[in-house]
Amino acid sequence: MIAGLAVAVMFAIGCSADEPTPVPPTATSVPEPTATQVPTKAPEVQRTSSGVAPTATAIAAATSTAVAEATASAGEQATVVAEETATAASQAVEDVDDREFDARRGGVFRLLGSDPVTFDPALTTDSTSYDITLQLFSGLTRLTDDPNNPIVTDLAESFTVSSDGTVYRFVLREGLVFSDGSPLTAFDFKWSWERAALPETGSPIVKEFLGDIVGINDIVEGNATSAEGITVIDDLTLEVKIDSPKPYFIAKLTYPVTFVVNRDNVESGGETWTEAPVGTGPFVLKSYEIGVSMVLERNDNYWDTPAFLDEVHFILAGGSAMAMYENEEIHVTGIPAASYERVTDPNEQLSQEVVDVPAEFVTYYIGFNVEQAPFDDVHFRRALNYAVDKELIAEAVLNNRAKPAYGPIPPGFVGFNPDLEGLRFNAERAQEELAMSKYADPESLPRIVFTTPGTGGSPPTYLLAVADMWARTLGVEVEFQEVEWATFLQEIDNYRLQVFSLAWSPDYPDPHTFVDVLFRSDSSINQTQYANAEVDALLDEATTEPDPARRVQLYQQAEQIIVNDAVWVPMWWGTEGKILVNRRVNGFRISPLGSYYLKDVWIEKQIDF
Amino acid sequence: MLIYISRRLLWTPVLLFVAGLFIFSLGSVAPGDPAELMAGQRADPEAIARIRDRLGLDDPFLVQYTRYAANALKGDFGESYRYRGRDVIELLGPKLLVSLELNIVSYVVTLLIGLPLGFWAAMRQGTWKDPTMTTFMLLVYALPVFFTAPFLILVFALWLDWIPVSGWSGMFSTHAILPAFTIGVPGAFVFMRYMRASTLDVLGQEYVRTAHGKGMGHMTVNRRHIARNALLPIVTILGFSLAGLFGGSLIVELIYGIPGVSRLALEAVFQRDYPVLTTLTLLGATMLAVANLVADIMYSLIDPRIRLRA
Repeated sequence: MIAGLAVAVMFAIGCSADEPTPVPPTATSVPEPTATQVPTKAPEVQRTSSGVAPTATAIAAATSTAVAEATASAGEQATVVAEETATAASQAVEDVDDREFDARRGGVFRLLGSDPVTFDPALTTDSTSYDITLQLFSGLTRLTDDPNNPIVTDLAESFTVSSDGTVYRFVLREGLVFSDGSPLTAFDFKWSWERAALPETGSPIVKEFLGDIVGINDIVEGNATSAEGITVIDDLTLEVKIDSPKPYFIAKLTYPVTFVVNRDNVESGGETWTEAPVGTGPFVLKSYEIGVSMVLERNDNYWDTPAFLDEVHFILAGGSAMAMYENEEIHVTGIPAASYERVTDPNEQLSQEVVDVPAEFVTYYIGFNVEQAPFDDVHFRRALNYAVDKELIAEAVLNNRAKPAYGPIPPGFVGFNPDLEGLRFNAERAQEELAMSKYADPESLPRIVFTTPGTGGSPPTYLLAVADMWARTLGVEVEFQEVEWATFLQEIDNYRLQVFSLAWSPDYPDPHTFVDVLFRSDSSINQTQYANAEVDALLDEATTEPDPARRVQLYQQAEQIIVNDAVWVPMWWGTEGKILVNRRVNGFRISPLGSYYLKDVWIEKQIDF
Repeated sequence: MLIYISRRLLWTPVLLFVAGLFIFSLGSVAPGDPAELMAGQRADPEAIARIRDRLGLDDPFLVQYTRYAANALKGDFGESYRYRGRDVIELLGPKLLVSLELNIVSYVVTLLIGLPLGFWAAMRQGTWKDPTMTTFMLLVYALPVFFTAPFLILVFALWLDWIPVSGWSGMFSTHAILPAFTIGVPGAFVFMRYMRASTLDVLGQEYVRTAHGKGMGHMTVNRRHIARNALLPIVTILGFSLAGLFGGSLIVELIYGIPGVSRLALEAVFQRDYPVLTTLTLLGATMLAVANLVADIMYSLIDPRIRLRA
């Protein structure tokens, strides 16, 4: 989804514009104004995603899974996620002996947060809500930090896929219970998924994530209440039939809309059942006061090793992040631009708490509406691509904290193509392409308005640099227009913007989330109105191709065509940043998709002599 | 007098209806769709349509407003768009209370500093002290809160470590000190000027000279004759200020992390949470109407020359 959420309420006010909350700008979701970063401004803002905290390695190393090739029952050639997975997250913990485990246990982790839009996994689409639902609920599979093994089973112990790729059989772990102690069976999954699809539930994204299951769309349309594609074999076995082989289906099951909820809880709580949600995540919601605070406490009924922390306190009323951090009122914060030099000065004590944040999976880009003049001409779009010297901007404007991008899929992500031929800076070719375009004559060039989301008053410096390069190399002048998020969203959905800046980060570890959803001609999130039959054909083929290597090839072919058609000027792949993490806090880090997982966080006790 | 008051009171609902209509109509012409914001970028168009339908956003504008107004008369201000299933009043109540507390305590600081200073300055008219103090307070008044607030945090919370940086636990807690001074001290300038002018007026009065002539002590004259009479016109100004008590002190609330109404209001703007916005506006209009009425009545009580005519 659109990355980083956000338009910054904070920017509007000006007071804490440079103090992003410590909540990592995420990946998985749609922007929503309560977060604190303007998506396209991110390269200039201190990123707040987490890094791997120094001591996290022990825990991180644990998440190894074996998705092993194996043969299940006769006639079913299958991929089995081995049992080893079961304790994936806890393996590191096992390395630690009991005494040390006790020593880590306890404490309250405090951070600045924003009010989640919802606690209901079925309704979760934005990053703030995503980060919270991930602590309170869980599903059959989940994401890990390991790029080689991005998905592991969670509540499922293992699963098998039929040879035709359409039937998934999940085996749940034994003895699963909800946070209130009530037992969890395969039936709860069936009920949760059907409930997510009900029109009354009003999930905006259920079709995207569960619509592949036979019968789900009928429920969404109000024609059924039960999906024939979901069968409960026994308490521990769930069989799911999808409409066609879709290798990325399992990846989608890491998203909250597929998480399991407790039927009694949902039915007895009415519309506000989420005030006391019963889930299966490592934490339970203890209290929540809108705009004031949100307190999570450890779920002792968690299936795996319970979280170390007693409680997590989210401060929702805002405040001066840096001052609160220095006064130890919060444990983690982004570094405001104004404090950056001071904090990173090696002579400053605080500098020892600075943690590097590796770039996360996100692609910043300038999008062209290919149906609107002058962007309806591929030569013109290419000219604009060739005219931008991203390496120079990265160095001169962004202190090399941003990595120039040449295509949609970021490095390290499934399907990244190191051999992709990007439209690299080349002033001569830029001029040649301009000469070939129907806008070669400056007189014929219509007025160009470049729209950026935000309320900061002026576009990010790097975009000004881009505009300057266009003007110098091609004589193409653009005007900037900044609109706040709500308006931007509506304008872009109605294809009213000529050229705009945005960022996109993946929802699940599969190239589908970049290439298909953004560039397929009939995708509802195709912002550029790009339509290329050849690309569509490749994407169709990739959707059902069972061989992972071949699928990746197909996506890469499509990606190359998209790049050649210059639908975007890809700008940056992630930006590195720094955050401050209290020296006593260990294990604060986030998944490569940008969300954090608080289960592994522990706080060293203060030693009193 | 009674007739005047009742007529004013009768006009108030009309005023509120018009104010409500105005803010409500802004909602229908402003860009941005609440349903779209609720559904998120990834939502399919049908999902957005279902939300619009649930919220009744597709009804004609007047139908929507009439429905809102009718419910509001019954005390039902609707549900927030942003916080599903939450009653607007239930949502606003605690926030308004916090803002009210913050404003009251700030107001007390304003009065405790402004009034004595104004009196003090007036008594020193013609010396260097009066203009010096006035200029100093003017400077304080002119300092923007986004400068003073972080400065106070730096000194009192970080260097001296006396007071917490952020949060709120009631008007009588240490949390209230910094924000109260941040808002209250600059505001004191205004009351200092009023008080100074008012005191100078009184100083020129015959009865002051008479009091001195009678041989009364300076302190007694100051207290009983000058200060008391100088305070009278100030009281009416207090009436006007009432309207501001529920109002947000936006930046201060944000910097100090105070869960007041401002943050919610701001968020409501960005999220197009029209039920919350409309209710807040109506509330503001009500406060203003009441405050005006109170001020008018006070005038007439204090100064018999001003008679409220029906």
